[in-house]
Amino acid sequence: MTLMNGLALAARSMRRHRLRTFLMTLGVTVGIASLTILSSLGAATRQETMARFKRMVGTFDTVIVRPGSGAMRGMPSVENTPATLTFADAAAVATIPGITRVALVQTAFNVDVIYRDRSDTPGVFGVSANWTALRDDEVATGVFFSEEDVRARARVAVIGTDVERTLFGGADPLEQTLRIGNVPFLVKGVLTSRGAGPTGASLDNVIMIPVTTASTRLFNRDALTMAIAQLEDPLAGDAAMQRITVLLRQRHHIVPPALDDFTLTSPRAAMDRILAVGATLRRLMIGVAAMAMLIGGVVIMSLMLVGVSERQREIGLRRSVGASRVDILVQFLIEALAISCLGGGIGILVGLGGTEIVTRLQHLPPVLVWDPFALAVALSVALGLMFGSFPAWKAARVDPIGALRS
Amino acid sequence: MIALSHVSKVYRRPDGPPVTALDDVSFDIGAGEFVTLRGPSGAGKSSILHVIGCLDTPSAGTCRLDGEEISRYSDRALSRVRGRKIGFVFQSFNLLPRTTALENVELPMIYAGGRLDRQRAERALDRVGLAQRAGHYATELSGGEQQRVAIARALINDPPLILADEPTGNLDSAAGAEVMAILTALHAEGRTIVLVTHDEGVAAYAHREIALRDGRIESDRRRVVAAQ
Ligand SMILES: Nc1ncnc2c1ncn2[C@@H]1O[C@H](COP(=O)(O)OP(=O)(O)O)[C@@H](O)[C@H]1O
Ligand SMILES: [Mg+2]
Repeated sequence: MTLMNGLALAARSMRRHRLRTFLMTLGVTVGIASLTILSSLGAATRQETMARFKRMVGTFDTVIVRPGSGAMRGMPSVENTPATLTFADAAAVATIPGITRVALVQTAFNVDVIYRDRSDTPGVFGVSANWTALRDDEVATGVFFSEEDVRARARVAVIGTDVERTLFGGADPLEQTLRIGNVPFLVKGVLTSRGAGPTGASLDNVIMIPVTTASTRLFNRDALTMAIAQLEDPLAGDAAMQRITVLLRQRHHIVPPALDDFTLTSPRAAMDRILAVGATLRRLMIGVAAMAMLIGGVVIMSLMLVGVSERQREIGLRRSVGASRVDILVQFLIEALAISCLGGGIGILVGLGGTEIVTRLQHLPPVLVWDPFALAVALSVALGLMFGSFPAWKAARVDPIGALRS
Repeated sequence: MIALSHVSKVYRRPDGPPVTALDDVSFDIGAGEFVTLRGPSGAGKSSILHVIGCLDTPSAGTCRLDGEEISRYSDRALSRVRGRKIGFVFQSFNLLPRTTALENVELPMIYAGGRLDRQRAERALDRVGLAQRAGHYATELSGGEQQRVAIARALINDPPLILADEPTGNLDSAAGAEVMAILTALHAEGRTIVLVTHDEGVAAYAHREIALRDGRIESDRRRVVAAQ
């Protein structure tokens, strides 16, 4: 039997048993479609998580120093952090070899900001002038405040695009005066939009002012809510953390086992933890998809077995006109393969469409990962072979005489 | 053409004693003979046909076909012999359902290794007077027509040997006569024909009659055929 003849036979048989062919194809389609959709979504979610996290932290090559011990929830602010991390501490950290710069941060999230008759409660960030360099933040219009502004405790502000929209509508905010907690500030610039952070909340609902101004004129507080130390060598994070720990313990007179009054975190480690959660979820999803594939395979196998017993007479007849056992085996295998490849092909199309739809609905970036689709092709073939073999073997073993006698 | 020598066939059954379908059967059939196998039901007629037709191998003894000793052939080799040398015709026609007459006739070509030659299949259908029925499904044909399609199918690879197991058993006498007329014509072309039948009238077409009983040969007689 030639391959062409085998394919022609498979096509005829598939036409002859339309319902069975449809069900078998459907089984594979469901399996392949769910595999491709779930793994594409997994990859898209992973990419989006990474992108959002990156947008929030700016650069990864930092160590974040926060006052207080242990894990804390939410963004640190002047409300919820102890006053143990001082300007002097940050300055000392900046002298540690391997640390290129330290950004000083004082944040509050409950301060009203007013421009004429409009008001808003954005995150107010008192930061040092090196903030933009350290965070990869950019100013879209105007300028960021300078070292000189910080030294002079200038009442200048740079606003995020959300604040620009809510307070100024379409108007030009530059050189306008707004009031932060009743203190007038001059708007010097607007930050480039950063989009959504890891929780999906906007990162643009912020207003940046010199940390010195925040400390003396707004919060009346000498302690930072956060210091961000940039590493010279991205791979030297652990060593840097070690040095910072030693330095701060010394400055705060902490001797273990007493608890530290500060907490160090590495954005990279934090993201790895987040991605690890995602990876578990992805494995679960792939497990679900594998289950769907398995069900598709079992559907193929059981329907083919039904087919073999229904087609005993046909098999006997084919044997009588010259088909060998191998011919019958090959014929049934080709049928199984044709069906699983057809189902796989449709499944891939459904998978592409489904991935497109879900990424749109979930506002995920339009990622196209090829691995699941390549895998789907291989799996379709494997599925046909794996679950077609046994029925094909059964078909080859049909006794022609018994089949014809009936 | 065919030489059976001390052929036995014993069917072993998982429950119950083994059944001896053929018991030390020997005969020769020369090329171009027209032989009928007769005998009561269960005598072993079909079993002989299956051994000759390479669908089954004897439990003991040898079977030669065209000088080839086939009783120990592999499945693959037997299948080749079946496809090239033998055309089967069954009592119950055995056309594939939901398949046209033409496609049924094409079937043996698939396994003969060549290309599907549609024109050859059409000629074979024409031979049995069914050129007009090529596109019809089995269910749309009368019994006699179905059996003629089956004969066309048996002929498609131009086999020298036709094995027919009660081909007229399911047909009325008119349709049976048509089938026998075709088989007679095939014999006249020089093909060897072995025919299993109960019917005295059908047996009258043959030149030789082998009678079986309980798996043994009871008689082997030549007869004079009435002018056709
Ligand atoms: N597969 C089988 N298993 C057991 N017994 C069988 C089998 N095939 C045929 N037989 C027995 O062998 C004997 C001969 O059968 P068969 O050749 O079909 O007879 P006939 O065609 O003359 O009616 C019968 O008794 C039948 O029951
Ligand atoms: Mg019989």
